[in-house]
Amino acid sequence: MGFNIFICGVGGQGLVLLTRVMGNACVKGGKKAITGEMYGLSQRSGTVFVHMRIGEDAFSPLIPYGEADIIVALEAIEALRYVEYLKKGGIVLMNSRIMHPPTEASKIILEKGSKYITLEEIVSKLREWTPNIAVVDALGLAREAGNVNTENTVFLGCLSALVAFPVEESHIRESISEVVPKKTIEQNLKAFDLGKKSAYDSLCKLVACRMG
Amino acid sequence: MALKDVIANERRYAFMLCNEAIARGAFESNVKVVAFYPGAPTSEVLDTFSDALGAFDYQMEIATNEKVALEVCAGASFAGLRSLTAMKSVGTNVASDTLFVLGYTGVKGGLVVVMADDPHAHSSQSEQDGRFFAPNSYIPMLEPSTPQEAKEMVKKAFEISERHRVPVIIRTVTRVNHQSGIVRLEDINMKEFKKVKWRELKEEFKTLGEVARQKKLRMLERAERLAEEFEGSEFNILKDAGSDVGVVTSSVSYLYVLEALKILKLDSKVKLLKLGTTYPLPKNLIRNFIKGLKKVIVVEELSPYLEKEVYAIAKDANPSVEIFGKYSKIFSEAWEYNPSIVVKGIASAIGMTYPDYNAIVEDAKKLKGMVPDRYPTFCAGCPHRATFVALNQALKAQAVKGKEHFFSNDIGCYSMWIFPPISHSDSSLCMGASVGVANGLSHAIEERPVAVVGDSTFYHATIPAIINAIHNGNKFTLIVLDNSVTAMTGQQSNPSTEFTAGWRQGKKVSMEGICRGIGVEFVEIVDSYDVKNNVEIFRRALEFDGLSVVISRRECALYGDRNKRRRGEPIIPFYVDKNICKRPYMCLRTFYCPAYEIDEDRQPRISPDICDGCSVCSKLCPFSAIKRTEVR
Repeated sequence: MGFNIFICGVGGQGLVLLTRVMGNACVKGGKKAITGEMYGLSQRSGTVFVHMRIGEDAFSPLIPYGEADIIVALEAIEALRYVEYLKKGGIVLMNSRIMHPPTEASKIILEKGSKYITLEEIVSKLREWTPNIAVVDALGLAREAGNVNTENTVFLGCLSALVAFPVEESHIRESISEVVPKKTIEQNLKAFDLGKKSAYDSLCKLVACRMG
Repeated sequence: MALKDVIANERRYAFMLCNEAIARGAFESNVKVVAFYPGAPTSEVLDTFSDALGAFDYQMEIATNEKVALEVCAGASFAGLRSLTAMKSVGTNVASDTLFVLGYTGVKGGLVVVMADDPHAHSSQSEQDGRFFAPNSYIPMLEPSTPQEAKEMVKKAFEISERHRVPVIIRTVTRVNHQSGIVRLEDINMKEFKKVKWRELKEEFKTLGEVARQKKLRMLERAERLAEEFEGSEFNILKDAGSDVGVVTSSVSYLYVLEALKILKLDSKVKLLKLGTTYPLPKNLIRNFIKGLKKVIVVEELSPYLEKEVYAIAKDANPSVEIFGKYSKIFSEAWEYNPSIVVKGIASAIGMTYPDYNAIVEDAKKLKGMVPDRYPTFCAGCPHRATFVALNQALKAQAVKGKEHFFSNDIGCYSMWIFPPISHSDSSLCMGASVGVANGLSHAIEERPVAVVGDSTFYHATIPAIINAIHNGNKFTLIVLDNSVTAMTGQQSNPSTEFTAGWRQGKKVSMEGICRGIGVEFVEIVDSYDVKNNVEIFRRALEFDGLSVVISRRECALYGDRNKRRRGEPIIPFYVDKNICKRPYMCLRTFYCPAYEIDEDRQPRISPDICDGCSVCSKLCPFSAIKRTEVR
């Protein structure tokens, strides 16, 4: 059976690089991988997503509704925006970070009493779809790794802890070294390790993880 | 991005974006000249060739528009060199004048035209189906489904092009261009670039009148030869099954069909014909496929291009076959497909049950009521935002005096002015049309037409319309948003940039020089960030009795950031001084910058990770509460 990952976030968060690292690692393991990528326009701050599918029987570049094994949301609101792709009872791996779009702010100043959507509200809605929700402070971990742009790699670390993730850790690590900018390899590997470690505190309490 | 894989002279597998696989196919085919105008979803083809310029010996141009790009390739091809261009669906409209003629004149060196349609209009103004260009111009067309197949087709297309002396179209769709997958790398075949001697090659590439009439006959013969050849093409895949139901499909729809058959557990229970050569179509292959079938289902996005042919062939081959597709209303001509749509279509044609995808989507909708829209918007630091703030102030001041306007928008980042929360534009059509339309409006309406174009659009398609305005004495205001690069497609260079393809030194072409040379009497150049002064200049431009041009100049924030990083300059963010801010929300009301948030005290807050340090909001704050962060 294949493994379907729906990756979403906000333009500029490095979804495409994340996809590259995974795809390149699949080649190393002799695995078939196919993606459907939507960059939107070239601006920052728009919604972006990638359908990533690993396995011999993954034909379509788009995941059918309700068939993603996991949603990886680099921004919290985006996890809810695409929930129809997730299997009921699938895994949500999401950033605690919320990036509020400018339209939301304009609404708040115009309507007294209106306020921003909160992480708790998002998580409680997602719970109606699945109990398996892990929230990661990816920005904090990326900072700890020495580079705020390594949020994407933090998630890769989390994914690697999962038994169901069909890519070997050694291949991911090699792939990181090949794909990310040379100067940031160390920081990315550290972000990967921090991500993986954090998974054992949250994600792994919900779903099966590898011994680590 | 995976440039290493694109240029590696190794035989192995690599994970690649289709647009990179297209470039790789060209490098395995000794391509010698490439030329492009960027446009989603093909821009990464251009970017890949631009990045690889240091690795191999070939000529590359980022041309002023798609027509010029195709002509650059035609010139090279006439001289016997292999050439390739790629353009988005609507770019083909611009290039089509030349494309049609090349069907008549023929070519010498292989000429490949990658044409990418955009079902769903993800990043286009229309859902145009470009497949009809092929039969209309008698130019052969191949349609890949995957990156691997795209690479194979590029190689084959060069060969077909040279053997039949005709350009070859490779038609993709967004979901093919922006699909990554595993690609088998074969030998790179790039040779040294050498000019050829025309006197040794000399042959004619022309058509007109009687010559055209003769060439038309030869073009028809060529189409017959191609049709015969395509009957046996490896790109047409037939999967037989002991079944009286068959599916005919092509492009990305083929992948949705495979997925759907898997979901419906019909894998080896229906016959399948995947067409890779979609002009000329292999009619015998289709005829044999539908013979003996009770039902045939045609799965293709947009127009019923294949379906019409299936009807025509069935008339003699199998008049009683039931044909399911767009005419039978199981599929729509609107919007792109996905696995769910195809599952539903195939299942309802066969008369079986299928997963209830609508229920899934409806369930999800119930949870999403609170999700705020995230429209594309100007980046933090974008000069366009500053220009529009000044322009809007000037327009409002004019309106108070009873002088209204018509806002004629165009194609570029500034198109986003049509999205909420701004939603301001009276028209927005296609590249350069804002100026043409303003010409017409100047005759038709009492108000002042205001047209807006970017630098790349200015060179691409507006200059004839400006000449027209001067020659005919048409009165309107044109704002040129000059941010130095073609920003929307990923900051490619253009004649407003001092670089050409591969960031090699190029010559900047002065747009103010062009305007003054044409005879525009009012030409002002302003710094986009200088909002206060610009309001007055826009006022004068709006009141000018003639064509007035204001060039608002400041480099694209993303491009500027890249340059700053290269020079080692820091980006210093601003912050809101909470003690001074009285919450008039001027910053939020007029500015819509993604760096802004509202904090717990309902005060504006600037996210330091997003702020670009442009300073424009700080100059507009009535309490001067927005300050530059102290650098320690």
